[in-house]
Amino acid sequence: MSVKGTTIPPHLRLPLAGVTPAPTEEAGQVLFPTGNFRFYRPVYKDKTPPCNHACPTGEQIQKYLDFVKHERFLDGYLTIMEDNPMPSVTGRVCYHPCEGACNRKDHDEPIGIRNVERFLGDFGLELAEDPIKDNLPATNGKHVAVVGAGPGGLACAYHLRRLGYRITILEALSKPGGMLRGGIPHWHLPEDVLNSEVDKIEGLGDIEIKCNTRVGTEISWDDLKSYDAAFLALGQDVGRKLPVEGSNLRGVMGGLEFVREAGFNKPVKVGKKVIVVGGGNTASDAARSALRLGAEEVTIVSLEDPDELLIVPEDLEQGKDEGVQFKTNTACARILGEDGVVTGAVLCEAHLTKDEEGNVTPQMTEGTEYEVECDNVMIAIGQVQHLDWIPDHLIEGGLLKADSYGRLEDSIFAGGDIIRGPAMAVDALGDGKRAARNIDKVVTALELAPDEPVEVMPYERLNTAYFKHAPRIEAPLTPPEERIRDQEIEVTLAYTQEQAITESDRCMSCGVCNGCDNCYIVCPDVSVMRDTRENGAYSIRTKYCKGCLVCVQECPTGCLEKVPELDFEDEGDVTRMETAFSVYDGSHAEQSIPIAKLQEEAIAEYDAARRRRVGASTGNGRGR
Amino acid sequence: MYHEITVWTRGIIMDKEARDIVNCVATGAEKLGYYAQFISDYIDDPDRTNCLVHKYARFGDEPIADRFVYENANPDWVVLVEETLVKASNFFRGTPDGEGVLVVNSAREPEYLLKFLPEFMLAKLKKLVVVDAVALAEQEGGSPWMFVRDLGQLAFDRTSTEGAAERSEVGIGVAAPLLGALIAATGVLPLEAVQETVSDKEAFSRGAEHHKVLDYAQAQVREAAAQPI
Repeated sequence: MSVKGTTIPPHLRLPLAGVTPAPTEEAGQVLFPTGNFRFYRPVYKDKTPPCNHACPTGEQIQKYLDFVKHERFLDGYLTIMEDNPMPSVTGRVCYHPCEGACNRKDHDEPIGIRNVERFLGDFGLELAEDPIKDNLPATNGKHVAVVGAGPGGLACAYHLRRLGYRITILEALSKPGGMLRGGIPHWHLPEDVLNSEVDKIEGLGDIEIKCNTRVGTEISWDDLKSYDAAFLALGQDVGRKLPVEGSNLRGVMGGLEFVREAGFNKPVKVGKKVIVVGGGNTASDAARSALRLGAEEVTIVSLEDPDELLIVPEDLEQGKDEGVQFKTNTACARILGEDGVVTGAVLCEAHLTKDEEGNVTPQMTEGTEYEVECDNVMIAIGQVQHLDWIPDHLIEGGLLKADSYGRLEDSIFAGGDIIRGPAMAVDALGDGKRAARNIDKVVTALELAPDEPVEVMPYERLNTAYFKHAPRIEAPLTPPEERIRDQEIEVTLAYTQEQAITESDRCMSCGVCNGCDNCYIVCPDVSVMRDTRENGAYSIRTKYCKGCLVCVQECPTGCLEKVPELDFEDEGDVTRMETAFSVYDGSHAEQSIPIAKLQEEAIAEYDAARRRRVGASTGNGRGR
Repeated sequence: MYHEITVWTRGIIMDKEARDIVNCVATGAEKLGYYAQFISDYIDDPDRTNCLVHKYARFGDEPIADRFVYENANPDWVVLVEETLVKASNFFRGTPDGEGVLVVNSAREPEYLLKFLPEFMLAKLKKLVVVDAVALAEQEGGSPWMFVRDLGQLAFDRTSTEGAAERSEVGIGVAAPLLGALIAATGVLPLEAVQETVSDKEAFSRGAEHHKVLDYAQAQVREAAAQPI
């Protein structure tokens, strides 16, 4: 700007006027707050990942996958235990709605969340001491009754105990576990795993499980009301009967009852040829258990189309591998017998029709009947529960009528299959958690309120360029010919530690900051500050951030968002300078004060010079 | 009669919009027989993206004396091409008390913008004009903003001679409705005279018709501004 020998007028001799001041080591960018360059501000806004949203218990899946990735298994285990008290169980039997929702399915394959959960759950079971137990509050003197020691009841008891309540669980059967014990075969969920998980919950103290106590006979509805609150998780453990001729013959049994007898280690026997009627998961479990008990030919007879079977795909595939046969679009019209013992069944072609209201009715095709031989017929066409001891106005269509908070009336809540019909174990676990939270509110006389709506992160908003494609690690399976030999041989095997870490590393951390440092690295203005490496612990220096939004664009997880600067109204959100190069407020004004005077002087000098040249009239007047 | 117009904008990405505004005001005034000037900003590093940049214009019925000064010492018309500038600078420096007409391109309510002005700036304000120029401009492609829509065009625009010889047409995009609102709300120059210099004449009319004016000189508006919203 200046040349040697040129005089710089005083008003231009401002420190750094018109020159970008270089940030110094001491002062940094203090001289040059460029925050007013910005019209969008990057803001860290964590959203809900779809897995977390899909999980009925609301497990913070992204969070524990991140812990596993960094080999912080205890932290991962404790994260699950916030929401779900039995990860070793759900890690084996859950139908994983999380994996169905996983954004990674649009990228390559969903993450094996269930197997990582199982890894963490088994890690927790192997701990010498239960870390949850050390941090329990003292009991607050309130006493809650929980009916049913299934997943819903146990979850509710666990969460209530963590809130300081004393709980008595009333269980009709001889052992706790509910459908986890009576509806899930050992080859799916080993008995000792279930026992350990139940012991872990019972071991928290102040949780009493009273087995062989059937509510309705030993304990009445009014007895329940004498507690501070009650949670009904009765489940549906009575198999529906097939209304056909011959269903009272010996050899005809309920699929669920069969699985339950096996689950409680009672002696059960099956013949060589078994027919299972039903198209759901109980039918699949009954059929596969029958194979393990020595049946040679097991056929599932179902009304559904082959592609409409209600069996989860992986179980269906495993069942086929084991040799279960399927007769779809088929109904059982009659069961044949001799001397009161089953000898065969009459099957016919059939299909399901749906009316306008969505009710499904079977339609048999007449004239297509044919006979098959069999030694056993198992009926797995749905379940019900006896509710005759509950006031009529709380029952609707065989289920309990609960509101959106799971409340029946006053301080009596319900959850699990008894309010929603046959569903997943994890649904019951979620209901238990919700009920515990709401019971705590009711007992402490707080208002029940619906959950805040959440923003679920869609795949489209991820910066997928950062995620290289990697195949899902499938959990190893025991070979079919080996696993059908015994009830106790587990079908699905666990991840190794390396597999769990590798699989967790595939998580894209949808919408949640996982401290990847990308924003910190890409910021051209050193405006992203990183104090610790914990999640979300970055801060934006708003006095200097120019709003280039490189960080937003390069955030892999999409947790950084641009927000219009004018949405921030606080005093501290204003960086007001006259211009970028007005190094302090008012420096431009200093330029303008003497300007008029200088101008006059300059014009006078120019005019005088011109007059001199014209007056002298010597040549072109150049080259003074 | 003498008016100074300072247009505040952001370097590079919104440069042309501001340049067109001063260009059209000065050209229109000149055609009407006024003495007029307009000029770009050089001292604030206008070649820097997002940097705060001014463009100046002035016109009057007497010859303009400031031959060597291009900064407007006492701007009475201030245009903000982008709404965030409301809280980014003191654009009323040198404005006579109670004389400032502020035109802001924003979809927000005038009352909301008003609360970003500190006391010493409110003292200069006469009228706050808010026009949603982005919505009123011709919706070309993804956005009326060149930097959102077409970086190629933006680069092309930067090769111009800052108004002396434009390659793109003058008075397109967001500039047209902003100009319309400015001329209509000030009422000094006839609309037709300025419209003639603008390329996108329809958007100019839309801006002239659809803008919100908050007359700050009225006492009740002052009182309302003092209340927290």
